Amino acid sequence: MTTATTPAATWRHRHLIDVDVLTWPEFELIMRVSEEMKGILARPIRKVPALNGRRVTTLFYEASTRTRVSFEAAARNLSADVVSVSTATSSVTKGESLVDTVRTLEALGAEILVMRHAVSGAPYLAAEIFSGHVLNGGDGWHAHPTQALLDLYTMREKLGHDLRGKKVAIVGDILHSRVARSNIWSLTAAGADLWLCGPATLLRGMDRWAVAWSGGAIPGHGRFNVTSDVNAAVKDADVVMGLRIQRERMQGGLLPSLREYAARFGLTAERVALTKPGAIVMHPGPMNEGVEIAPDVAVSGRSVILDQVANGVAVRMALLYLLAGGHEATHVETVR
Amino acid sequence: MSEPGASRNGVGPSVGELVERFELEKAWLVDPISGREGPGEIVVVDGILESVNWLEGAEADGVTDKGVVVAPGFFDLHAHFREPGFEDAETVASGSSAAAHGGYTSVALMPNTQPALDEPGALERIRLASRASGSPVEILAFGAVSANRAGETLSAMGELADAGVLGYSDDGAPVRTGKLMRSALLYAGMLGLPIVEHAEDLEFTSGAEAHEGYVASIMGLAGWPSAAEVNAVSRDLAVLADAIKDEPRARLHITHVSTAEALDLVRRAKAAGLPVTCDVTPHHLALTDEWIAGARRWAWDALNQDGTSRDPWADSALTAGPYNTSLRVNPPLSTPVDAAACLAALLDGTASAVVTDHAPHTVVDKEVEFGKAANGISGIETALGVLLELVDAGKLPLVRAIAALTTGPASVVAGWPARTATAAARARGLVEGASADLVVFDRTDRWKVTEESLRSKGKNSPLLGRELPGRVLLTIAAGRLAYQDAEADDAE
Repeated sequence: MTTATTPAATWRHRHLIDVDVLTWPEFELIMRVSEEMKGILARPIRKVPALNGRRVTTLFYEASTRTRVSFEAAARNLSADVVSVSTATSSVTKGESLVDTVRTLEALGAEILVMRHAVSGAPYLAAEIFSGHVLNGGDGWHAHPTQALLDLYTMREKLGHDLRGKKVAIVGDILHSRVARSNIWSLTAAGADLWLCGPATLLRGMDRWAVAWSGGAIPGHGRFNVTSDVNAAVKDADVVMGLRIQRERMQGGLLPSLREYAARFGLTAERVALTKPGAIVMHPGPMNEGVEIAPDVAVSGRSVILDQVANGVAVRMALLYLLAGGHEATHVETVR
Repeated sequence: MSEPGASRNGVGPSVGELVERFELEKAWLVDPISGREGPGEIVVVDGILESVNWLEGAEADGVTDKGVVVAPGFFDLHAHFREPGFEDAETVASGSSAAAHGGYTSVALMPNTQPALDEPGALERIRLASRASGSPVEILAFGAVSANRAGETLSAMGELADAGVLGYSDDGAPVRTGKLMRSALLYAGMLGLPIVEHAEDLEFTSGAEAHEGYVASIMGLAGWPSAAEVNAVSRDLAVLADAIKDEPRARLHITHVSTAEALDLVRRAKAAGLPVTCDVTPHHLALTDEWIAGARRWAWDALNQDGTSRDPWADSALTAGPYNTSLRVNPPLSTPVDAAACLAALLDGTASAVVTDHAPHTVVDKEVEFGKAANGISGIETALGVLLELVDAGKLPLVRAIAALTTGPASVVAGWPARTATAAARARGLVEGASADLVVFDRTDRWKVTEESLRSKGKNSPLLGRELPGRVLLTIAAGRLAYQDAEADDAE
């Protein structure tokens, strides 16, 4: 890369656990570096030596296909050495604590720890004891920063870099969604007109959040809307994003049936027709086709779901690069 | 002429020994029985508070409530010393040492040990441990409501009463069903003893991680709705109203009430004449859910003029790391509005006492993911400091703060027919001629809460690293030395 040292010099975060710590210039920095990474992915040989010899460990306490593969592909594209730990095969099944596992992985040479965990806040605990860098691959209901950043990247790619005033509707299980929470931070920072939509049982608490932010009190973040009226949410939207509805929600008494959800909230062709001409359809995956999104919508010309997957690799390359390089840059300055 | 607060003829060197002679000149005396506070002197001889001398005129010059304060020893109605079963978290000995460091001379332990305190042998074991510790801190105990705290059948209530328990509680959990609560209130009422209730509707709290509201929403924590406490209190009050028709001696005490709505229910029930009392904790008075996000300001500093909660994100008030597990507690830390309601309840008498709910835990149980961490705060050593912060902020008069730790809990016990005349219910004041039971602390001398400064084995305090006012200089329990500050000793 031609600008290999410039962006890293201004990166100040040792870890990235959520996008709530990012300023808008930092979002833009990540977007610029992601753009460069996307250029690498367009080459015949998708590999650069940027992280040659650096050790990336993925520690996944929850099942995941795309996020894990995406992180590992990103690390390998940067020539990093990758170690994968999944809880099904590790000592975690013998009752080892997160703290002991992280200390062990550090002793085994982990420098960048990519972590997914079912409990909100778990990566902060890892970051407290880990001397390298923690990159959050999703924690509980709390945060999924790389997803929010790849969503932001994809929206800017399709709609132009200035998202101010662009209407984005996220429809689905907002209550349990780390994707929605991280997207609230990033899209309100981008100045988008954000709408969160779902049944009242899956929006619990979100209204209070929206009300608190309605006055524009949070530095760097705008207001957003919460509604159970899906037509109001998607009407004239530039982006509609569906979120996965899990079967467990019915056992919890939060939904009558998937059929009813699909009928009332599913992203059908009729609902998508309410959006602006040129609007895009997104989904973080994995999809329940026929529930939160109709099969024809998922594969329609408006769908950018596969672009999200491809952009995910570029964004994760950018973050691995910034975390590893940023640390080095700081270190060099200190020595001088 | 000696300096204000100077002491002479220092007390004996080791814990448990009779205080042969101790004089304190020119201190600020607080007597919650009479409500009197002011300059004075005390003399302890052979463990007896021989004289309490209030100073007036020129003699009182220079003595203020900002210096050395003498108060009756504190009484904690709700603590966990973990013995037997969880001695790596706390023992009767380490807990007693922590209590004395906090200014406490009497502590009532909850029965959620392993095995549970559901028969008299378990009480005897705790008494033996207390005696063996050498600490003069008085150890009292509640028996379990249900056998093995399983919520199914009644514990050995009569035998426990004969052995001297203060009352019954399944604390750590609520009395499982309304039906069992009814039986418990009737049977305990027959024995002249109360049910002390941890009010929580478990239907609402399974998997819950933090008070349901703005902070939990942002942090992706499973919400613990206020309705969980309100519903439980509502059930208990309905059952109590029913039970007293059959057994007028039935008594209900609801502990660690944390929400404005539940406090309102108790307030109205008391006004209607139901025999119910309640208490609040220092952490629900002073800490709020925004601490979980990383805020570290007191509850009263997180309120708007109109009484609504401020926004820590808008205020850029997040100064510490998020998801600190020392803040995971049951009931969960709530909003600044609820904390203000706890204070209002204390001031208007709805809440009779401040209890610590001292809940020490090991690192193993706390150095884990937030949602997996054990509930509880190690708080018996920081209660005084937290209440003094309220006093310093002008929210609570000093004498009321001391009353909440002394006459308040004693008055609760005095309302339990079979314990009205016991030592636990004794008047906790500066009473001449009585066995010396007092704490001496320096109101403005701040001490740093650290793992080293806490005597408790439980280092799970969200106040670690913080300085609190009111360094305890000396605690005398039943005429014997319970705690003496090393530096104060050197200064003599």
